[in-house]
Amino acid sequence: MHITLVKKILADGSPCRKCQQVESRLVEAGLLDKIDSIVIADERDTDSAGMLLATKHQVKQAPFFIVRDEQGNETIHTVYFRFIKEIFNRNASESEAAADILDSSPDMDYI
Amino acid sequence: MSKAQFDTSRLAAEYDSRQPPEVLKLALDSFDNIAISFSGAEDVVLIDMATKIRPDIRVFSLDTGRLHAQTYQFIDKVRTHYQISIDVLFPESEAVQKLVNNKGLFSFYQDGHKECCGIRKVIPLRRKLATLDAWVTGQRKDQSPATRAGVPVVETDGAFSSTDHELIKFNPLSNWSSTQVWDYIRTHNVPFNELHNSGFISIGCEPCTRPVLPNQHEREGRWWWEDETIKECGLHSASRPVTTGR
Repeated sequence: MHITLVKKILADGSPCRKCQQVESRLVEAGLLDKIDSIVIADERDTDSAGMLLATKHQVKQAPFFIVRDEQGNETIHTVYFRFIKEIFNRNASESEAAADILDSSPDMDYI
Repeated sequence: MSKAQFDTSRLAAEYDSRQPPEVLKLALDSFDNIAISFSGAEDVVLIDMATKIRPDIRVFSLDTGRLHAQTYQFIDKVRTHYQISIDVLFPESEAVQKLVNNKGLFSFYQDGHKECCGIRKVIPLRRKLATLDAWVTGQRKDQSPATRAGVPVVETDGAFSSTDHELIKFNPLSNWSSTQVWDYIRTHNVPFNELHNSGFISIGCEPCTRPVLPNQHEREGRWWWEDETIKECGLHSASRPVTTGR
């Protein structure tokens, strides 16, 4: 299994808040060393590796994870608490899961 | 019909041009374990339509503890008007107390609304939805062109489904405009929240909702102080548009 984390740099050069949060949570959970590569999606450069991956996989938000299995099949994970549950069988707290749901569901802006 | 037999993609396409009562009938005919999420605003039309199909339709509302007095009064008015029971959901007091003790009662003006909404709305909603096979919302495309333009009339709920629990979400009003909703309210003498008489269009919690001026979009009445942070997670290109950006 090979896991890629794609995180974003905003157009003003600053890191995206959610990407920083997810990286911190990976560290706290002791899972960062399970991530094989970290790729940057730089909003200032549409040809940056992360932007190209987002285009390829039709992902609209960052951060996201690409998990490639032994057969070469790739699955995309855009919601952190589901990613750690499905890949590592770890549970996030309810408040973390709620924050992930809100961050990954633009249509819930009116909830 | 069981969930396994419910072909969401096909029905979404088939019902896209149907009227809301037809979508509601599909929902109620297809699922027994289903409920309407009622916000205390103009989504009351869903209750009006649904009670004509199934008088004992299950309805729930999220009481965040921060709603306007008029909204509480309205929820009770709807309960008696339609003679239905409304399951009012509350946030966990411990989580609210921790948030308020740590950050005060108005932390959302500094930190954004998501932390507070997570505790007061998303967690109780998630718990409720874990008990249902399907739910019905008042989401409409015209409520926010940036975030709701793609809302289908029926979908697999990507936010609240899990690997062992697929949840179906119906959005019967998806293709209706605000004008059509209000035409329905007037034509059918549907009760409505008094706040609408004072310029409120979208209604949420009291500190996070304000009336809008004529020709202002209803989105401007909610979380008006943090538009930029809402967009933060989207992948945008600074130089040229990319197909994946929003």
